[in-house]
Amino acid sequence: MSAIETGNKGEARWSEVIGSAAIRATGFFCFWLVLTRGDPGDLGPGLIAAAAATWASLRLFPADQWGFRPIKLAGFVLHFLLQSIVAGADVALRALHPRLPLQPGFVAYQAQLPPGTKRNMFCAIMSLMPGTLPCGTSCDGDLAIHCLDVTQPVVEQLSVEEALCIAALGGANSDV
Amino acid sequence: MSLVMDIWTICAVSAGALFFLAGTVGLLRFPDTLTRLHALTKVDNLGLGLITLGLLPQTSSLLLAVKLVIVWLLVQLSGAVVTQLVAGAIRQHGADG
Repeated sequence: MSAIETGNKGEARWSEVIGSAAIRATGFFCFWLVLTRGDPGDLGPGLIAAAAATWASLRLFPADQWGFRPIKLAGFVLHFLLQSIVAGADVALRALHPRLPLQPGFVAYQAQLPPGTKRNMFCAIMSLMPGTLPCGTSCDGDLAIHCLDVTQPVVEQLSVEEALCIAALGGANSDV
Repeated sequence: MSLVMDIWTICAVSAGALFFLAGTVGLLRFPDTLTRLHALTKVDNLGLGLITLGLLPQTSSLLLAVKLVIVWLLVQLSGAVVTQLVAGAIRQHGADG
């Protein structure tokens, strides 16, 4: 509901952490209810599972690191869905094309996002985008991207995607 | 209304099945493991998404509908993560390793 503007990068305030924990715990518990169809006998384990999931989630995604912007995030999700349709159609057409138009190869991409959770998330998104498949980091710190067609402007496309991703999930560190 | 929903289901599920077919054709025709991964992740995700969307109007309860969407999202998530791990392993050790 309330998009907390964390302008100052300091320590997260306790109220923020507790608020974030409450939202996450509710989300996890609802998830459990859906999976078990709300069976009353499963509520106890569900509470324990939701508590454990919240703990793990706060460890992995600390509340202060994520400046989610709900509207931009919604826009990004929509964009992502459209892109996965483009991606699926693109690969499907290539697979069914009689001459199999492929120019596979690797492209090095210098990511702006620092190594860590956010970059991993970007890589996961990238792997569902048209024509690109991240294959880990090379020794000089660039991401190695496998492409179905290296003649496409892959790097330009990726930097646009990364900018959108940063706008939706919060900056590379604390900018914007 | 239910006729419209049935037509929607038939169209979306058929389209999804077509994408699964295309993904399988890609799996067989593409030249190496990495390009085959492209075929598997992208095309099959779209296929599964279409089948999910197609089946949504046929569900008896909202809970079941949400469950279907969750299954789709979990497959997307695991696909996105596992593909990268497989691709990274192939890049480091080669496809036969």
